[in-house]
Amino acid sequence: MIQRIRGWLEIRIGLDELIRSQLTEYRVPKNINLFYTLGIVAFVAFLVQSLTGVLLLFYYIPDDKDAFQSVQLIMNHVPYGWLFRLMHVVGSNLMVAVVFLHMISVFFLGSYKKPRELTWVVGALMLLTTMGFCLSGYLLPWSQLSFWATTVVTNIPTAFPFFGEVVCKILRGSEQVSGATLNRFFALHVALLPALLIALFALHVFLVRRIGISAPPFGREEDEDWKEFRHEDHPDGLPFYPHFVSKEAFMVVLYFIIMFAIIALAPALFLPPDTRIPADPFTTPEHIRPEWYFLAPYEMLKLIPNRFMGIAAQLILVTVFILWPFIDSSEKANILKKPRLLATFLVTLVIWIGLTIWGAY
Amino acid sequence: MRYLLTVICFFGLVTASQGAWTDISEKDFLKTPWAERPRVEQSACIDCHASELIKADYQKIPGEWRQSWHYQNRVACQDCHGGDPKDAAKSMTPESGFIGVPKPKQVPEFCGKCHIGIKDNYLESGHGKALMTTGRGPNCVLCHGSHNIQKASIDIISPKLCGVCHKYDRAKDMKASLLLTEQKISDIGKSLETLKAGLISTQDEDKVLFQTQAEFRTLFHTVDVKLVQEKTGEFSKRLNAINDKVLKGFGELKFRQDFAVFIMLIFIGLGITIFLLGRKSK
Amino acid sequence: MTSILGLSAAGAFAYPLFRFLLPIESGIKAKKLIIAKSDIPVNTTKDLMIGPSPGIIISTKDKGFLAFSKVCTHLGCLVKFDKDRQLFICPCHAGVFDLEGNVVSGPPPQPLQKFAVKVEGDNIVIG
Repeated sequence: MIQRIRGWLEIRIGLDELIRSQLTEYRVPKNINLFYTLGIVAFVAFLVQSLTGVLLLFYYIPDDKDAFQSVQLIMNHVPYGWLFRLMHVVGSNLMVAVVFLHMISVFFLGSYKKPRELTWVVGALMLLTTMGFCLSGYLLPWSQLSFWATTVVTNIPTAFPFFGEVVCKILRGSEQVSGATLNRFFALHVALLPALLIALFALHVFLVRRIGISAPPFGREEDEDWKEFRHEDHPDGLPFYPHFVSKEAFMVVLYFIIMFAIIALAPALFLPPDTRIPADPFTTPEHIRPEWYFLAPYEMLKLIPNRFMGIAAQLILVTVFILWPFIDSSEKANILKKPRLLATFLVTLVIWIGLTIWGAY
Repeated sequence: MRYLLTVICFFGLVTASQGAWTDISEKDFLKTPWAERPRVEQSACIDCHASELIKADYQKIPGEWRQSWHYQNRVACQDCHGGDPKDAAKSMTPESGFIGVPKPKQVPEFCGKCHIGIKDNYLESGHGKALMTTGRGPNCVLCHGSHNIQKASIDIISPKLCGVCHKYDRAKDMKASLLLTEQKISDIGKSLETLKAGLISTQDEDKVLFQTQAEFRTLFHTVDVKLVQEKTGEFSKRLNAINDKVLKGFGELKFRQDFAVFIMLIFIGLGITIFLLGRKSK
Repeated sequence: MTSILGLSAAGAFAYPLFRFLLPIESGIKAKKLIIAKSDIPVNTTKDLMIGPSPGIIISTKDKGFLAFSKVCTHLGCLVKFDKDRQLFICPCHAGVFDLEGNVVSGPPPQPLQKFAVKVEGDNIVIG
C-alpha cells in the first residue's frame, strides 16, 4: 500500500531523489551532539505555541472589559480549555529557555563565525522577536500582573530625553496602559510578530541549509579558510536520517515530557496569585516583577543609578549581541583554545544567572 | 414657664438633631459609586491629623486607620465622618456633611450608614435596646474599635470585652453555638484558596460563602443564643452545599493532574523507545 | 512501537481538541423560568431562584416586569428591595442599585445582573 503511494508521488515530485538528498544521503558531522537539535526543538516549541494560541483565539476576547473573564471561561468552563491554556503558558517559558540554550550552545561552539555571521544576526533578531511575543502576550490575560508589569516595561523608554515619551505613548496607545494598549499588543502578538518570526525563521533555515551544518570545533586540526562560497559537506559524517532525526525526535519528546511534568505537578508555576486578580488601574500590587527571562535586565536597570545610562547600557549590550560575529571576527572557532573568549563567555553567563536570581528577591 | 420652655426647646433640639442626623447620612459622601477609586494615602484630613501641631490623641488616628481593614478597602475619613477631604477649609464644615465624633448612642447609626444589616439586628438586640434606652451598653466601637478596625473574628467574644457588663457565661454559650459554623466557614475558605492555587476559578463559591458568612455574623448581633442555635441547622445545610461544590472542584483538580500525568507517561514511553532505537541503529 | 506510541500521543489530544471545539452550554441560558402573571400583582415583588442563584421579580406600574439577580456584585450578599425608594440596597456595605440595576452608590463594581423578561399570554418568561 505504502509502496503504491510512494510510486504515485515518485512520478509527481521525484520522491526517491528527495528522500535521498534530504534524508538518507544528507550527512551531518560525525561528532554532532544533542545541542545541535535545539534549533528544531525551538521550532517545534513555536509550532505548539501557534497551535495552542489559535485554539485560545477561539474563546479569548481582546477587550479590556472581557479579556479576564474570557480567560477564566477557558480555564473553567471550556472542556480541556485548561489543557491548552497551560500548554501555551508553560510552552512560552520553555520556548524561551530552549532559545536561550540554543543561542548559548551556538556561541560556545563558535558556529556564528565566518561564513555564518548572517545566520547569527537573523537568529538574534528571532530572539528579540520572541521577547516581543513574551511582552505582548503577557498583557493579554488582563490580570493585575499583566497590567502592572506592562506599565513598568512601557515606562522604560521614557528615560530617553526627547523621544522617550513619544515611544511610550506609541507603545501604550494612550497615556496610561488601557484597553488601547491591549488592542495593540493583541495585534502584535497574533498578527505582526508571527509573520515576522516565520519570515526570519525561513531566512534562518535557508542560511543554515545553504552553507551547511557546522561541525563542532573540538578535535578539528585546522580551521577552514573561507575565500569563496561553498556548501560545507560532511562526506564521512552520519546520515541525517536516521541518526540525527532520532536525536531530534528524542529532544522534542523530552520537551513535551518537561512541559507535561510541569502541567501535572506544578501547574501554577508560571501563574502566581496576581495573575488571578483582574487588572485594577487604581491598586498597585506590592511586588511587581517581570517573568524570569526579564529579571536580569530588570535587576541591572535597578542597579544602575541613572535611568538613562541604564537603558543606554542595555541598548549597547543588545547591539553588541546582535553584531557579535563582527566583533569576534577571528576565524578560529574552538573556544577552548581561546581563554579570553571563554572567560568572557563564562563571566557573562554567571553574571546573567546571578542577576536573575537577585532579581527574584 | 421659662424652665418649661427651656426643657421643650432642649428636647426639641435633641429630636431635631436626630432628624438632622438621618438627613446628614444621606449627604453627598454616600451618594456616589466608589468601586473605582484608589486607596487613600493623602487627604486634607490626614494632613492635619498626622501633623505635630495636633494633640497626641488625634495624632495617632491616621496611623491606627492605616492598619485597619477599612484602609485596605479604600474606606477613608470622609466616608464615615463626612467633610471634604480635598479642601482643608471645607474639611470640617456642616455644609460638606462633616459629622465629627459620634456620641456613644449615635455610634450604631454612624457605623450603620454602611453596615445596614448588622445595625438592624443590633438595634433589636438586648445590647442595642440597652444602649438606646439607658444610654449605657456596648456599641460597635467597644468590640470593634474605632479606627484600627480589623476583620471580624470569633475571638472578639472574650472575657475581657464581654465580662465588662455581665458575667461571661452568656457570651461563652454564644461563642460555643457560633464555633462550629465559623469553623466550617473557615475550612471552606481554606479549601477555596487551595482550589484557586490549582487554577480553578471559585468566583461564584466565594460570593456564596461570603454571603453565608455575612448573614451568620449579622445574626450574631441579635445576641440571641436560641435564635443562633435554631438557625445553625439552616446555615449548616447551606455550607454543605458550598462544600459539595468544593469537593467537585477537588475532583476536577485531580482529573487534570491525572490527565497530564497520562500524557507525560505516553511521551516518556515514546522517548525511551526512540532512545533505544537510536542506540540499536548505531 | 514508535508509531503506536506516537499515534497514542497524538490521539490523546484528539478527544480534548474535539470537546474544546464543540460549543459550550451556558448554564443560565439552558432553562427558562415560567411563572403566571397572577402570581405577582402590580407593585409587588417575588423572590425566587433564577438559575443557580437567588433572584427577584418586580412588577412595576409603568415599566412592566423586571427580573434581577439578588447577588450583590461587591462580595455576594443578597440585596433587599426598598419599595419606598425604588432601590436595591445591600445590607452588607450599603451598595445601592437603581431599577435599571446600575450602581447608584457604594462599593459594587458592576451593575446588578438583569434577566430578560417576556410576557407570553398569562405567563412571564424569564431568561
